[in-house]
Amino acid sequence: MTTLSIDAGRLLPALVPVGGVVAVLLLDLFSPRLRRAPYVIALVASLGSAAAAIPGLRLGAGETLTTLCVPPSSTAQALDGLPGTCFWQAGALASTLQLTAALAAALTLVLAWPWSRTSGPEVSDVGADSHREPIEAVLMLTALTGAVVVAASHDVGTWLIGLELATLPIVALIALPGTRSAIAGAMQLLMTSLVSFAVLVLGVALWFAASGSPFLSADAALRAEAATGTAGWGVLALSVALLITGLGFKLSLVPFHAWTPTAYAGSRTAVAAFLATVSKIAALAALLVVLQALTAVGTSALVIIAVLSVASMTLGNIMALRQDNVVLLLAWSTVAQAGWVVLPLVSMSTAGARASATYLLTYIVATLVAFAVVGMTVRELPAEGRLLTAYAGLWQRSPWRAGALALALTSLAGLPPGVIGLIGKVVALRPVLAEGWVWLAIIAAANAVLGVAVYTRWLRPVIMTGAPAGAAAHSTGVEAGPTPGVAAASVRPGRIRLRQPVDRVALMFALVVASVLLVAVSVQPDLLLSLLG
Amino acid sequence: MVLTFTLLVPLVAAIILLAMPRTARLDVPLALGAAGVTMALTIAAAIWRPVVNVRWIRSLGIRWHFETDGLSIALVLLTALLTLAAVLHTASGDGPHGGSRSTMLGAVLLVETGALGTFLARDAILFFVAFEVVLIPMWVLIRYFGDDHVRDEVRADAASRFIFFTVLGSTLMLIGILLLVHHQGTSDLAALAKAGGSGLSRPLQIAIAALLIGGLGIKIPLWPVHTWLPSAHTIAPTVGSVLLAAILLKMGTYGIIRLAVGTVPEGVAAVSPILAVLGVVGILWGGLACLVERDLKRLIAYSSVAHMGFVALALASGNHTGLQAALLGNIAHGLVSALLFFIVGDLKEQWGSSDLAVARAALRDKAPRFGLSLVVGLAAALGLPGLISFWGEFLALYAAWSPADGRPVALLRACVIAGAVGLALAAAYSLRVARIVWAGEGSDPAAEPVHDLVGTRYAVVVTLVAAIVLLGLAPHLLLNVSDLDAQTLLTAVRR
Repeated sequence: MTTLSIDAGRLLPALVPVGGVVAVLLLDLFSPRLRRAPYVIALVASLGSAAAAIPGLRLGAGETLTTLCVPPSSTAQALDGLPGTCFWQAGALASTLQLTAALAAALTLVLAWPWSRTSGPEVSDVGADSHREPIEAVLMLTALTGAVVVAASHDVGTWLIGLELATLPIVALIALPGTRSAIAGAMQLLMTSLVSFAVLVLGVALWFAASGSPFLSADAALRAEAATGTAGWGVLALSVALLITGLGFKLSLVPFHAWTPTAYAGSRTAVAAFLATVSKIAALAALLVVLQALTAVGTSALVIIAVLSVASMTLGNIMALRQDNVVLLLAWSTVAQAGWVVLPLVSMSTAGARASATYLLTYIVATLVAFAVVGMTVRELPAEGRLLTAYAGLWQRSPWRAGALALALTSLAGLPPGVIGLIGKVVALRPVLAEGWVWLAIIAAANAVLGVAVYTRWLRPVIMTGAPAGAAAHSTGVEAGPTPGVAAASVRPGRIRLRQPVDRVALMFALVVASVLLVAVSVQPDLLLSLLG
Repeated sequence: MVLTFTLLVPLVAAIILLAMPRTARLDVPLALGAAGVTMALTIAAAIWRPVVNVRWIRSLGIRWHFETDGLSIALVLLTALLTLAAVLHTASGDGPHGGSRSTMLGAVLLVETGALGTFLARDAILFFVAFEVVLIPMWVLIRYFGDDHVRDEVRADAASRFIFFTVLGSTLMLIGILLLVHHQGTSDLAALAKAGGSGLSRPLQIAIAALLIGGLGIKIPLWPVHTWLPSAHTIAPTVGSVLLAAILLKMGTYGIIRLAVGTVPEGVAAVSPILAVLGVVGILWGGLACLVERDLKRLIAYSSVAHMGFVALALASGNHTGLQAALLGNIAHGLVSALLFFIVGDLKEQWGSSDLAVARAALRDKAPRFGLSLVVGLAAALGLPGLISFWGEFLALYAAWSPADGRPVALLRACVIAGAVGLALAAAYSLRVARIVWAGEGSDPAAEPVHDLVGTRYAVVVTLVAAIVLLGLAPHLLLNVSDLDAQTLLTAVRR
């Protein structure tokens, strides 16, 4: 009986954040009053994780970095019929997703950077002496570890654990402030996670039953198809349907999306940004692991993906059109964009998987910029920063920030100047048309129009110029619905400079980094596209 | 390099203008300089015919490939000329109402960037990207700088309609492009035209042609998807209307020539009867609407629908004359609609509305320069021989009378007859406008007269009038430019 062969170097993308967790906990043990140090450690750890993922980017098609391998003579041979199998297999696609998850986590950490103690409403509501910074840092790093692990996982155990590791810490992150809406959001997410976990476990069990293999590999899928005839195939199809359903919860695909708005609304901006980026990467990475195993087999999951995609786009956009709260708008936009993310997967091929990951990346860059702007606005106008009306006349107040937001929104809408969003749509539609699903592409086209409607609704107050701020706030308030009075009062220029500049440095930094990234990939989309080969 | 600079100059200037503080005084010199330099660069491009072809997005095989040829160069020059005119027009006024002048100039230059990119692009996906660039700036022009006599919701409605319709159109076009590119394995437009649809099955060709023409038809706009146009024109500021009518609509017809005619000839042949019928319905519908329309700007917008109907009819004929007629008709409508919108927009600014039912002082008596230019514009719109529109419309009817092989002759001839009726309608509505506005039928002599055209604005109008008359007397100047390339495009089709 031989043991696992472990190559720690290849596990670094996951080991570094784990090391960061240990470091933060140790530091907290000795010096519990520190507030910024845990964040510094977490930031370094997530950047380290990103750096550790870089060697995987240059892998060619079919090449993987493998470790945690079972040698040929062990029991796995009996299970899988292979000369040897590895629990950790990171190809170029998985490495790219790991890198993106780590970078997104780093940016989110900066977004959540602790304020000095005297300022900031979010501190005051939990009491001056509480310090939750180390906990937050630990939770974010843990969730990042989950996302990194699931992208490279190859067996059902690692896959399930990685997926849950990426989700459960976020429940705690949302619940931490202890407000009513936070608890509501956390509860929704927790319930969803439990249900989806149950569904996933059932799916995994059926997978095992059909293929006799604990590995999510093409060989296992082929074996399931071949071994037991139609019955085995049916079990496999059911298993895949359950797995997609379970992941549909995590990706917020309609009809499994119900938790999304509540959870976003209940979380702080940075946590919502984390949910919208790192969690989505984890979910898509998990889905790609399953689908790549299935590329060898056939086409049973295609229709379910097409249906989920269309339903998500349509409902997400329609609901987003009705929101006056920008975080809710972004929540519903996540639902709609998730539809676009899974759209190319109807072509069950490597090209489809790449296109899906590419679209996710474009969405993440743009969303991070949008959340950074929301974060800054919320810090300036704590009470109303999440309302659409708070953005009236932003172009006049701070043109650069408005420019960044405009670029992010046009990217999400898929219109120039957000060229990367446009290219994302091109990339997403290509595999669909290559498979000849013209009707699906036409529904997507109609949804592109709805998407434009959603984002121009936010863009309109942003670039409103000329009218005085008060009038602008008023007129948009009337259109936006129930809260004109609050809004008109909110946009007083005098209040904007109240916060100490020190508190804004971190946010400003995050915004600048994300915006520079967005501009760079809009000018030369190849920077992003070539990551995925 | 020249072509890259042709695009970068207006783009960079636009970004600076948009980032400028409201109080800056440098906006007009900057915008004028950028528009002037771009004009010079396009003239240089027209003479030397440079090419730029470098890698842009390697993973998608999209190249940064811009080139001029006979099909596009006239439109490129028209775009540069009208942008310069629009900048001059903006600079000479009091400044726009909805926002700062620098923002408005920035939006105008962004529209120029997108339009030039569209006309110059030689890669199908690059074409699509450039095609989309104009949307947001034009939306800003309509939404923020539009007619401020109407309620905010009306402006919002006009701007939203514009952007929703055109986004739907361009996404349908994108689906067509992607289908084409996927099956032909290249997105290079020259290679696609050379392939001439070989290797594509007939149903696939028809599907691609339907998607491309349907998508671009929204931009042209063809009846019945023209409904965004009248409200957008009515609300848009003068320069917005000019750019919209003279340049943006041309992107639709040019796109059909560039993307569809050469690459999926069989598909285009199959779709062209529908194109012809829709074009003719547009001619009649637009003409009839103009007979009863009370709003002068909206009336000119409907007349655009009619004129673009002739271009669609010319394209449907599928022969060399038809292609030439479409290209000439594009330029003709570009110049004439620009002239009319400059005049009508200024009149609306001074009148406060453009309602024809309000009694006003006759232009003939009180503002002769306005009056004369308007009469020239209307005469061109009704297709008076000797002015440029005549050639576009006459050739369109001529081409459709004896269409290319495989087109339904009887149907197209019926369309020609209906189109001729449309010409009569054009005469009727043009004379109606002339009677009311110029001659002053039912006018109120006591009404406060408008200030006549002076200075830069007068120069702009005179230039356009001169171009309309000159090219009307010597249409071969334009026809010769595109003759060879039109021939090549169709030869590839027949082969």
